[in-house]
Amino acid sequence: MSNILTAENLSKSFNTGDKKLTVLDSVSFEVESGATVAIVGPSGSGKTTLLGLCAGLDVPSEGTISLVDIKLNALNEDDRAYVRNQHVGFIFQNFQLLPTLTALENVMLPLELRGEKNLLRRAKELLERVELIDRGHHYPSQLSGGEQQRVAIARAFMSNPKILFADEPTGNLDEDTAGIVTKLLFDINREEGTTLILVTHNLELAQHTQRILQLKGGKLVSDRRLPANETIVSDLTSEQESFTA
Amino acid sequence: MEYIIKIKKDKKNLLTDKWVWSMAWKDARNNFSRLFLFISSIVIGIAALVAISSFNNNLQEDIDGQAKELLGADYVVHANTAIEPSFMARMDTLGIEIANTSSLASMAYFMTSTSGTRLVRVVAMKGNFPFYGELETSPDSAYKVMKENGAYAMVDSNLATQYDVSTGDSIKIGNITFQYAGEVKNIPGGGAVQASFTPSIYIPMEYLDSTGLVQYGSRVNHDIFLKTQTTKIAEDIADLLKNDVKKQGHTFETVESRKENLGEAFENLYRFFNLLAFVALILGCIGVASSVHIYVKEKRATVGVLRCIGASGWQVFNIFLIQTVSLGILGSFLGVILGLGLQYSIPAILGEFIPLDINVAISWVAVSQGMLVGIVIAILFSVLPLISVRFVPPLVVLRNAMESSRKVTKTMVLTISLIVIFPLTFAAFLTKSWAVGAMFFGGLLVAFGCLALFAKFLTFLVKRFFPHGWNFIWRQSLSNLFRPNNQTTVLVVVIGLGAFLVATLSLIQNSLLNQVEFVGNENQSNTILFDIQPHQVDGVIQLVSDNNLPINQVVPIVTTRLKSLRGKTIDIIQKDTSDNIPNWALTREYRVTYRDSLHQSEKLIEGTMQREVVNSGDTIFVTISEGLKETLELEIGDRVVFDVQGIPIITYIGGVRDVEWSNDPPNFIFVFPKGVLEPAPKIFVLTTKTTDKATAGVFQRELITAFPNVSAIDLNIILETLQTFFDKVAFVIRFMALFSIITGLVVLAGAVINSKYLRMKENVLLRTLGALKKQIVAMTLIEYGYLGFFAGLTGVGLSVISGWGLATFFFEVKFSPDYLSLLGVWGVVILLTMIVGWWNTRDVVNSSPLEILRREVL
Repeated sequence: MSNILTAENLSKSFNTGDKKLTVLDSVSFEVESGATVAIVGPSGSGKTTLLGLCAGLDVPSEGTISLVDIKLNALNEDDRAYVRNQHVGFIFQNFQLLPTLTALENVMLPLELRGEKNLLRRAKELLERVELIDRGHHYPSQLSGGEQQRVAIARAFMSNPKILFADEPTGNLDEDTAGIVTKLLFDINREEGTTLILVTHNLELAQHTQRILQLKGGKLVSDRRLPANETIVSDLTSEQESFTA
Repeated sequence: MEYIIKIKKDKKNLLTDKWVWSMAWKDARNNFSRLFLFISSIVIGIAALVAISSFNNNLQEDIDGQAKELLGADYVVHANTAIEPSFMARMDTLGIEIANTSSLASMAYFMTSTSGTRLVRVVAMKGNFPFYGELETSPDSAYKVMKENGAYAMVDSNLATQYDVSTGDSIKIGNITFQYAGEVKNIPGGGAVQASFTPSIYIPMEYLDSTGLVQYGSRVNHDIFLKTQTTKIAEDIADLLKNDVKKQGHTFETVESRKENLGEAFENLYRFFNLLAFVALILGCIGVASSVHIYVKEKRATVGVLRCIGASGWQVFNIFLIQTVSLGILGSFLGVILGLGLQYSIPAILGEFIPLDINVAISWVAVSQGMLVGIVIAILFSVLPLISVRFVPPLVVLRNAMESSRKVTKTMVLTISLIVIFPLTFAAFLTKSWAVGAMFFGGLLVAFGCLALFAKFLTFLVKRFFPHGWNFIWRQSLSNLFRPNNQTTVLVVVIGLGAFLVATLSLIQNSLLNQVEFVGNENQSNTILFDIQPHQVDGVIQLVSDNNLPINQVVPIVTTRLKSLRGKTIDIIQKDTSDNIPNWALTREYRVTYRDSLHQSEKLIEGTMQREVVNSGDTIFVTISEGLKETLELEIGDRVVFDVQGIPIITYIGGVRDVEWSNDPPNFIFVFPKGVLEPAPKIFVLTTKTTDKATAGVFQRELITAFPNVSAIDLNIILETLQTFFDKVAFVIRFMALFSIITGLVVLAGAVINSKYLRMKENVLLRTLGALKKQIVAMTLIEYGYLGFFAGLTGVGLSVISGWGLATFFFEVKFSPDYLSLLGVWGVVILLTMIVGWWNTRDVVNSSPLEILRREVL
């Protein structure tokens, strides 16, 4: 299977006054098309920074990143935006729906941006899939957190992205709702055959993926592939506790 | 492995990218209230511009259309001395229709149910004046009756109303008693202002001599009106008679010159209005920029999401540009409608100050100008804050605190350049002068600069001398002035500018009013009797004493003209094109006096004052007022020859006096020493002080009966008229300034709302931590109180400088600030700022912290 994402020696540093703060240090990995990958690690380990770089939301200080055979480093911000629109879907911890658009309009947004037409049917199908078809004309402020995240999932899959990036998708939800959202996310992902990169603290959520990349202090400290029906939760939990204490 | 390093994509521009248009609409449809400040700024700014421009255009058209009717003739000669028979004969040879008027000030005694005496302008008429325009009377036949029936007089309508004059009543003027023919409602060249200061009585010319009013020293103005077949003939006559008219010291007017004169007369009005339009518009521009800035801040999260899902920087920029430009067009349209509506109110307020029938009509020039300027403002002043959305990183969806990359782009440089050029060009366009435009613009920059500097200085001072010992609420409020993201500079500039404008207007108004409040001094005269012939002096003094009135001054007045200056005759100076002395100053009649001491209204600022000439051969040194010294370009020691009734008197300038003209009149340009003019023909002026209206009435009736040619100026009446006049002017000024003030308030609200978003989170956190509602309100009130206090102080402080400049150099009056009203302006500014600040915190104090926090997350 071909790689959809290749990161080589990715580093990201920020200047804070006189000092240089390195948040990501020579991280390299590859992701095959259709894989599901979780990036875990304690706060400040560089998870979100890595996600941002992989999705083309930011550029690395050093190293290269290629997404769907496109070298993101070589592109300017507008070109990267174009790549995101064509190939990438997003789900965020705080949902990030546009407050001025209805749920249905939020779902249609990525394809409307592409200039495509006849989107209503697919948007409604996706809303039906996330069980919100009767809330399509509601604005985000009229929806609960779980409902908003379901709309965000529908939006993420609307453009048939080749790769989906999710940043703590259940981070703002209660346990029951998180369970529903997780199930929906992985079910639809399987149905659509999308590559999924997930950043999370939630090891139970990470457990749903096929591979777990673990970051610590900006370095990739482990890359574990999970054979079907195998769990590494206990190992990670003990490490996670030491990170977050 | 080969990677793609270049993206091929369809390039769409603003017009072809349908998504941008659809997104602009979807995003804005439930969001218009967020742009209320934006649209308000444009509506009010454009309304001011359209109302003022339309009025100016209408006025200009009316001047052009009515100049002939206002002049009443094709060619007019104005003279303040008797017309020479040779000159009159020359006019007669032209073989065209001529009419004459002669006018002079005199007392009139109204023998009516509300009888009384009053100083009026007596206008003696001969011929068929006016040739153009209409002399409106009531009854219609009044003019015919006056001309044909003998001793009949017409009276200005305000005078007729004041003394309740009706058919059958009589009016005594000088030695003649006239029957009342009717009232004059409108006369070409007249005007309500003139009528309220010097109301007129119109009599046939053949009775003027019999009144006995024209005696030695009387000031009579003569006008000769000519009617020609065409305007061209009038211009030819003007050319033909130009030298003669100049030589005699007269002046002339044609329809064209009347147009120019009227235009010039309204020049200050135009300038004042244009200044207001400029200020309103600039405040509107700030309002636009400020509200778009707030809008962009609110939209940061939306921008992040759009960037994240693949919208380009330009696409996001275009979404908000479409919204602001569309609202700009709507705002300009509404502004134009409001401006046209307001335009109708201006003539109603200003009508009586203008001797024209103002025809209110839609000025399409003003309308197009308003629309164009509105759209330009909407684009220009929203582009700069909007540019920042292009640089909002998509990472803000992951990290809210992510800062935008700060780039200086070509678009930014171009926009800033245009923003600088726009107000300068617009001011130049309004004033039709690059120099005046640059002055407006410069003044604006100075005011802005001073306010901004003061704000920075204030922030520094507060930080440097922070009172750590104060209680929490006061410290918290004070520290908001220098914390990160503080709005101190913006608020001080905006609030300060509003205070600056209002306080400047208040100062100018006071300075103007103070010029006329000269009767208030306890011992100062309030009644002036003039045109007293030498043989009448004792009798008048006796009459004044009999009425138990004080005799403050008895001043001799001798009528003279200039014969030569510094050895050059007036003729030569007139012909010398390099000489800048105005003709009126050379040819006018000078009323001089002689005395051995300075009057209380004057100070000797240069040279000495010769008290008396003892021997007939001694050199005569006169003193001159400072103003005329400059006009006549004279210096101490210069030779001035006067013509006193045909006798040349050689004098030298001995001293220069600074004269406070309004203080205890009469005051004089030239004062001779004693021992020179005593034998010359002269008249006397006597000044006294009446205590009440009844005494004044009785005295004036006795005066007109015993001495019909002697006139009395009652300064109390003049003061009342002036007070009314200035009240109206002040109202007009305030009404027009209201445009600027309302725009200023919109900007103030915008700036305060902007700061609200910055303070909201902090206040919610304080509420969460247990701060009471009253503590939050107190902190807000104190913070905005500080801002109002300092901004008001700076604005009012700057207004003292601008008020002094305007009073001294523009209005040429003494700068008389009323510090109490300045304190009032300052107080109102503080109060308003606190109210607007409090209004903005209602949201925080009246909602639960959770509600706000949740809203913030969304």
